[in-house]
Amino acid sequence: MPTIDISLKDLQKLMGFDITFKELEEEGILYVKGEVDAFEGDEIKVDCKETNRPDLWSTEGIARQIAPYYTKNKGVPKFDIKKSKHEVIVDKGVEKIRPYFVAAVIKNIKVTDELIKQMVQLQEKVCMTYGRKRKEAAIGLYDYDKLTFPMKYVVVDPEGIKFVPLGFKIEMTPGEILEDHPKGQEYKHLLDGFKKYPLVIDSAKVVASLPPIINSDYTGKVTGNTKNLFVEVTGNDLGVVKVALNVIVAALADRGGMIESVKVKYGGKTIVTPDFKPNKIIVEYDFLNKVSGLGLKVNVMKGLLEKAGYDVVVDGNKFKLEYSSYRQDILHPVDVAEDLLIAYGYNNVEPVIPKIATVGELDDFEVFCEKVRDYMVGLGGQELLTFTLTNRESLFDKMNVEDWGCVEIANPVSSQWSVLRNWVLPSMMEFFEKNTSEEYPQQIYEVGDAVVLDEKKETKTKDVKRLAWAYSGQEATFTYVKQVLDYLLRGLNVKYEVVDVEHGSFIEGRVGRVVVNGKKIAYIGEVNPQVISNFGVKMPTVAFELNLTDLYELL
Amino acid sequence: MKKLLSSLHPLERKVLPYLKEGISLNELVEKSKMKEIEVMRSLQWLENREVLKINLKVKEVVSLDVNGKIYGKEGLPEIRLLKELKSGDKKTSEFKLDKDEVNISIGALKKKAAIDISKKDNELILSITEQGKKLLDKESFEEKLLKELPLELNKLSPEQKFAYDNLKTRREIVKVDIVKDRSISLTKVGNNLLKEKIGDLQVVENLTQKMIKDGSWKGKTFRPYDIKINVPKINAGKRQPYLKFLNDMRVNLISLGFKEMKGSLIESEFFNFDVLFQPQNHPARTWTDTYHLKQPTHGGLPDSKIVNAVKGAHETGGNTKSKGWGYKWSPIIASQLMPRAHGTAISGRTIASGVKVPCKYFAIARCYRPDVLDATHLIEFNQMEGFVADESINFKTLLGILKQFAIEVAGADKVKFYPDYYPFTEPSVQMSAKHPELGWVEFGGAGIFRPEMVEPLGMNVPVMAWGLGIDRLAMFKLGINDIRYLFSTDLKWLRGMGIV
Repeated sequence: MPTIDISLKDLQKLMGFDITFKELEEEGILYVKGEVDAFEGDEIKVDCKETNRPDLWSTEGIARQIAPYYTKNKGVPKFDIKKSKHEVIVDKGVEKIRPYFVAAVIKNIKVTDELIKQMVQLQEKVCMTYGRKRKEAAIGLYDYDKLTFPMKYVVVDPEGIKFVPLGFKIEMTPGEILEDHPKGQEYKHLLDGFKKYPLVIDSAKVVASLPPIINSDYTGKVTGNTKNLFVEVTGNDLGVVKVALNVIVAALADRGGMIESVKVKYGGKTIVTPDFKPNKIIVEYDFLNKVSGLGLKVNVMKGLLEKAGYDVVVDGNKFKLEYSSYRQDILHPVDVAEDLLIAYGYNNVEPVIPKIATVGELDDFEVFCEKVRDYMVGLGGQELLTFTLTNRESLFDKMNVEDWGCVEIANPVSSQWSVLRNWVLPSMMEFFEKNTSEEYPQQIYEVGDAVVLDEKKETKTKDVKRLAWAYSGQEATFTYVKQVLDYLLRGLNVKYEVVDVEHGSFIEGRVGRVVVNGKKIAYIGEVNPQVISNFGVKMPTVAFELNLTDLYELL
Repeated sequence: MKKLLSSLHPLERKVLPYLKEGISLNELVEKSKMKEIEVMRSLQWLENREVLKINLKVKEVVSLDVNGKIYGKEGLPEIRLLKELKSGDKKTSEFKLDKDEVNISIGALKKKAAIDISKKDNELILSITEQGKKLLDKESFEEKLLKELPLELNKLSPEQKFAYDNLKTRREIVKVDIVKDRSISLTKVGNNLLKEKIGDLQVVENLTQKMIKDGSWKGKTFRPYDIKINVPKINAGKRQPYLKFLNDMRVNLISLGFKEMKGSLIESEFFNFDVLFQPQNHPARTWTDTYHLKQPTHGGLPDSKIVNAVKGAHETGGNTKSKGWGYKWSPIIASQLMPRAHGTAISGRTIASGVKVPCKYFAIARCYRPDVLDATHLIEFNQMEGFVADESINFKTLLGILKQFAIEVAGADKVKFYPDYYPFTEPSVQMSAKHPELGWVEFGGAGIFRPEMVEPLGMNVPVMAWGLGIDRLAMFKLGINDIRYLFSTDLKWLRGMGIV
């Protein structure tokens, strides 16, 4: 979800309509699925929620999309393209590295501050989000008058050539740029494993760029004196790079630039770019009414779709629609339905509560857990809700037990939250640790999730609800903890026995395993003073932990 | 007066006969033979009843210290030394006194010119002077003072003061204590009360089992208690406030005809993303936006019929009339495991498991995203997630259901809808709700599930779905500004928190 900066004055100029800030904020911006995030004077920050429409991530794009609602514009925006003899020759060597290259020439453009600002922003947003951090699309913009055609897209040895990268003053080889230039370091992973690097170079052997890393300083610098531009996009998918090129070219054309085409020669095959030929989709209008629920007349829908940027031909029970070449978000007729609804205005739709007869139902296990919680409150426990994320030290080391395996996060934000707990009692001990200055006795419990490894499951894990109960205070005795568990189990009508067991978290000889129908479902005991000390607590503590998932299955 | 009399505690009754104007606490203890703490408590109660006033006087009292007590009995060491000298000169080692006492005495006696000191064989020899003999004839001020103590410091006579000043420079003979002297003065109520005959009134203190059994309580007066008295606080068992809030939500949704669904905390990317028609190279699937697992890394995939249908939807649109995303879909990526990133994964699983239409489902889902824990972010959070599948679902009814939520579940009085984008819904909508106290709040996202999502799962009617962030609402209801309190580890706060 890109956030972009636009200028209201610039927007008004591009729209050909003096839209007010209020109109823009309350209505206009909704037509581009945007939201005004902040504004200061003429500067407005816009959240663009549509991640599949790079054409909307600029003042030019927003103006183009919303102008029809305020002016006479309608239908697919048209762009004039003058055919030219400019050629780019693509070397076969790039095929395995970064195969696709598309380009355009823009003539007679007035390079203003606003244009530069928007171009820098648009390039960056397109490359980051739509271009997947330059992997799928990297854009280069050049001073056309410094280049000698035909241009060449070739491969070069890492040390095979030298040029001054943009923003630097010294000549460097591609290999050096990847190691020492900030952009090189940032994007060098995209060229990992290749012996040769792609290079854009002109017929006079002047380097234009090392895609997808950086342009040359000489050709890549666009200033107020630049009159004509050369634009190229490289990537791995022809469809993606063509869309990115059209997005950039359309924005430059909106600022008065004249578009000239470029022939890109791939061996024997030649393609001509940019190509603004509209996309097509056929939609039944009954379908649109079914999705919207609005029951609109055909000509009303036609008008709305034209405002939304479609060329519409009515054909029997269908609309034959054309839409802009750079729109990749329309995959299915539902996407047209949404455009229609946005044009209609969401807040003009009257909400209707459907009559659907269903019976509400709680999850049986959840009901069981609620019952258990009520018992624990009755016994005087303060209920807790703690995180399931924790760390190995807390689960095992501090609890004085061997690590018996747990789910581990590969990219934790902090080592403190690096695994999912497989039992809950450590969370109770952590709670005591944080409350040593609070009045004792402290009686706490949680019916919480733990996750255990389980090869047999589709997710290789199993969620287990566990009740952990702990009492910290001078009067903490085994008798008491057993009384509490006994009261609960009697209440749930469970017959159980307690058998001897050894467990590092508890005092030897004062710990038991609770068995129901031969299944071990709980540990109970006086907590080992070593464990109590590990958590910085100074009070005798007793506790039990009961597997409610297993217990429920036994009932 | 009668009421006052009947409300007296037994201790108060006991002390009452001994009360008189100006009597001190000590005297009362002595006369009543009660414990000091009992007398003190009854006096405080009586003061609360405005029967009397306790006057507190702080005095400095001079009394005998450890050595002083000994000297009081045996006499001061210098006097004892002088007495020994009366029978002739002595070496320092020949005295009955211990060495310290001898040393102290020599200093004191020298000062008063009561002895002469000479030296022989490296040892001091003492002899008494005339002045010394005179001293023995009469009792010194110091000796006298030792017998008179304890005395109040600022009431000492000039002679006593002189003796005190001498003694206080010496080790542990006298000491000064701060003494709180309590005495009472009776109020008008008190004076009247004392005129009453208190012995006559029979009041019941504690009602016993026996009294109920034999009926002996009948006709008796129960001593009225001071019911305004502060009592010690106790800590009892209580539900966690945020869980209580979530439960209330549950009940609300059940009453609207929803069934609760369940999912797994660890999910495959297949159900987290692929089923939701999120392309595998989508930026939201990268490491910065979601957690991935080190162990276990990969899980299984469901029924191949579903897997192939999802693959088809991604690659070409399959049978969904969609163009698809047009890339090569990988089952390996789909089988990667991760902690559930959003509740929609549960909806996907539920639909895939086969549901009977029409149906309404909801879940309160614990979700995980790589955030740093602070006042506005949690490392794990709860989402309220759900869907409604029915032939009648369209954009109008979608808005209707959302509006109903905002009003019935969140207590909002107005709603606004905004276009939004989610990979798995089209049309998509974001709702803001106006809460009477909270103002406009972003309430959550919703939409109609894309055909590319539900059709591969075998669902052929429209399905509306929503995922609401309930944390802000919970924070408001619980009156907290710091989101971490939803998972509070502060026992004081939990104990103090009322039922919401």
